[in-house]
Amino acid sequence: MRKEDFIAKNPLRILIPETGPKRMGLVMARAGLGKTAILVQIALDSLLRGKRVLHVSIGHSIEKTRAWYYDIFRDIVAASTLEEAAGIQEDIHRNRLIMTFKEAGFSSAKFEERLHDLVSQNIFRPDCVVVDGIDFATMERDELEALRKVIEAQEGLHAWFSGRCHRDDSHTSEGEVPESCRGYADLFDIAILLRMDPEQKNLVLTVVKDTSGATKPGNILHLDPATLMINP
Amino acid sequence: MAKDLEKVRNIGISAHIDSGKTTLTERILFYTQRIHAIHEVRGKDGVGAKMDSMELEKERGITIQSAATYCTWKDHTINIIDTPGHVDFTIEVERALRVLDGAVLILCSVGGVQSQSITVNRQMTRYKVPRIAFINKCDRSGANPFRVAGQIRDKLDLNPVFMQLPIGLEADLKGVVDLVLMKAIYFEGDSGEIIREDEIPANMVEEAAKYRELMLDAAAMFSDELMEAVLEGTPTTEMIYEAVRRGTLALAMAPVLMGSAYKNKGVQLLLDAVTRFLPMPADIENTALDLNAGEKPVILQSSPDAPLVSLAFKLEDGRYGQLTYIRVYQGTLKKGDAIVNSRSGQKVKIGRLVRMHADEMEEIEVATAGDIVALFGVDCASGDTFTDSQISMSMSSMHVPAPVISLAIIPKDNKSQINMSKALNRFTKEDPTFKSFVDHETNETIISGMGELHLEVYVERMRREYNSEVEVGQPQVAYRETITRRAEFNYTHKKQTGGSGQYGRVAGYLEPLEEGEYEFVDSIVGGSIPREYISACDKGFKKSMEKGPLAEAPVTGVRAVINDGASHAVDSSDIAFQLAAIGGFKEAYNKAAPVLMEPIMKVAVEGPTEFQGGVMGSLNQRRGIIVGTFEEGSYTVVEAEVPLAEMFGYSTVLRSLTQGKAEFTMEFKAYRHVPKNVAETLMEAAKKKKAS
Repeated sequence: MRKEDFIAKNPLRILIPETGPKRMGLVMARAGLGKTAILVQIALDSLLRGKRVLHVSIGHSIEKTRAWYYDIFRDIVAASTLEEAAGIQEDIHRNRLIMTFKEAGFSSAKFEERLHDLVSQNIFRPDCVVVDGIDFATMERDELEALRKVIEAQEGLHAWFSGRCHRDDSHTSEGEVPESCRGYADLFDIAILLRMDPEQKNLVLTVVKDTSGATKPGNILHLDPATLMINP
Repeated sequence: MAKDLEKVRNIGISAHIDSGKTTLTERILFYTQRIHAIHEVRGKDGVGAKMDSMELEKERGITIQSAATYCTWKDHTINIIDTPGHVDFTIEVERALRVLDGAVLILCSVGGVQSQSITVNRQMTRYKVPRIAFINKCDRSGANPFRVAGQIRDKLDLNPVFMQLPIGLEADLKGVVDLVLMKAIYFEGDSGEIIREDEIPANMVEEAAKYRELMLDAAAMFSDELMEAVLEGTPTTEMIYEAVRRGTLALAMAPVLMGSAYKNKGVQLLLDAVTRFLPMPADIENTALDLNAGEKPVILQSSPDAPLVSLAFKLEDGRYGQLTYIRVYQGTLKKGDAIVNSRSGQKVKIGRLVRMHADEMEEIEVATAGDIVALFGVDCASGDTFTDSQISMSMSSMHVPAPVISLAIIPKDNKSQINMSKALNRFTKEDPTFKSFVDHETNETIISGMGELHLEVYVERMRREYNSEVEVGQPQVAYRETITRRAEFNYTHKKQTGGSGQYGRVAGYLEPLEEGEYEFVDSIVGGSIPREYISACDKGFKKSMEKGPLAEAPVTGVRAVINDGASHAVDSSDIAFQLAAIGGFKEAYNKAAPVLMEPIMKVAVEGPTEFQGGVMGSLNQRRGIIVGTFEEGSYTVVEAEVPLAEMFGYSTVLRSLTQGKAEFTMEFKAYRHVPKNVAETLMEAAKKKKAS
């Protein structure tokens, strides 16, 4: 398959149209369900479209984050028989920067400073930022608002975050922001929920919020529980 | 010497530069009574540490060659390979790891896991070496073994399990709590040689209980017996040791010990851990290739009665001739025995067999499976396998990286010229990543290796050990050329100038070769090129690849296929077909979209976070790709991939950029295409050089 065809057929298109994606998106799920895999697939979608991605990983090493990309890209190549995979991988490598922090070491001010270093010196100007591992439960709301401002201050920058919901949220009805994420979900333009569908024994992605109205809430994608890849 | 294989340990001591490996080894030799006084690496007594036997090592305070030595501890024989900490000497580390059964990973309690520790750890994983961690320098200001353990988990992807806790830290370091015995251990006497057991200090009882529980939980994963005993509250010391040993051998656990080698604290307990948790030779599965059975892998038996298989892993030019370090994997090596070099088929007699203790030696009669010893007067190359005449086996080939940098060296006088040849002959035999050749056009001797420091050390050794003074040229990056698409050739070499002429026609194609440097394929059918000239064609292509037309760089990654040709009954000859192949190569090469390639280095800069922006900028200016950053408190690591050509003099730039507070390491990553604008400049320079 050609890269262009893959981009057009990517199931993520339902969530992220090629034109005008949201400024700030949130992927919510319980621990261990596959938030990082979704973020990496969103990042890879951007990278395949020639965009530059800054991956901020909190609590994970560069090596581990890189391994996520490697594994998921390998699965994509195997599933779609993507042409010229080696060249595409080189481009991905060139257009991606991984920034890792310790859990306690991340703050909006630090992120702003790092982003400024990259952009002002023309080292790396990201089109998309994915931030994985923020503990929203312990982060002050002021901090979150400041983080949104940092993203908004960069022209054309889009960001996706992962947010952890609680085990007890499982009774939350379909199509709603889980209770444990309600304190901050309003700061995001689009929010998607990843959960286990008990009947189908499948992972399901549901749009629970979209302020633009471009994506119909309730749109569903399935995830292969073994590979954590979004099924076509 | 302990004959019992269960009581032999072959271990390496590996770590980041300056984390105290040599000091630790020195203490081990002292406590095991191999030496009777302690000398520091940069000690005021000027003697230097025992393991740094080369003069240069003593002067620079770094270990360059892995010196092998042995000692005995509580009826165990321990062979120790001290390995270098600098990336430029990585081949030494890799070689040492090849012959080790287990390793001690030394980490600085202040600096923690640094980039070289990560490289060494990766190498250990590649060679499946079980390891224990020793967090050294706990007496230093800023020491934090708990933070280091976290890094072991995060950065090295190991499962660190505390076997001890420190009693006090920094200047207050007094001893350790042994979490198995649940005792406080203190090291007393002038050199910490008296070990005193005592009750755990009251303020640590709770913490010790907590960490013991964590240790038991981790160990119980490897022993059902221990798991049951833990549930019943009756785990014994032996049960715990056995479970930790199993976990360590399965590479699923890294027992963590700690102390301060410099302050003589914790070293004896580390030796106990080496004998308890690291494998004996029979625990490790080693394979060799059976040369009589199409290189079929064969698992070796760690038995003294089996046929001999041994590996020469290191050569040294000593006072009494060539010294060959050898690891016996199977069988027995006896003084006076005749052994066979599997590569050359040469039979040699073992004149002298010695056990090495840094630069001193002890004559022995016999070495058996599991031993690391040295032979005298055996002419061989590093990596050669020796067997007895009963079998023909070769240990699997070792991963050897290609050199990435070269230097021209010019001897100052005739005497230096002669000595230089001797030195180069020796060094290239000792170190497979160090190469030397004479450039026939400039008549200069070129040496190449893995980095500036690597070559610098050899130039220095030439001067000191061989009394050879040389002038050194500017370092040159080892560029390469390759082709990116298939192209055909059909070339006739014809020369008629009286007497017998020259005639040969070759036709075929060149195409990119994905893996490997060169492949020759003979697809001639019907004898259009007679058999006897086929090898001449191969030779012609090989010759063409020595210097590519773009920038005079060696050509790699080419498959040359011949499928047609013609010969003449009188005028065809070897040389005619060689020249025809050279002509054919030239004809196809330019059509095959040739490109220039350059070595890309993986660079890691570590330093205070405040300089992160500047560091990234400096790497970016050098055509570097920033791969990632890792920030921890006030300390940051920037990882990047930068062309080697841009890295000359970077240490000076980094020093001034960070007030000397940051350091960097680099290692070869891959060859990649040179950007067009840079390639044009290089080609222009090559053209000018050729014209002059």
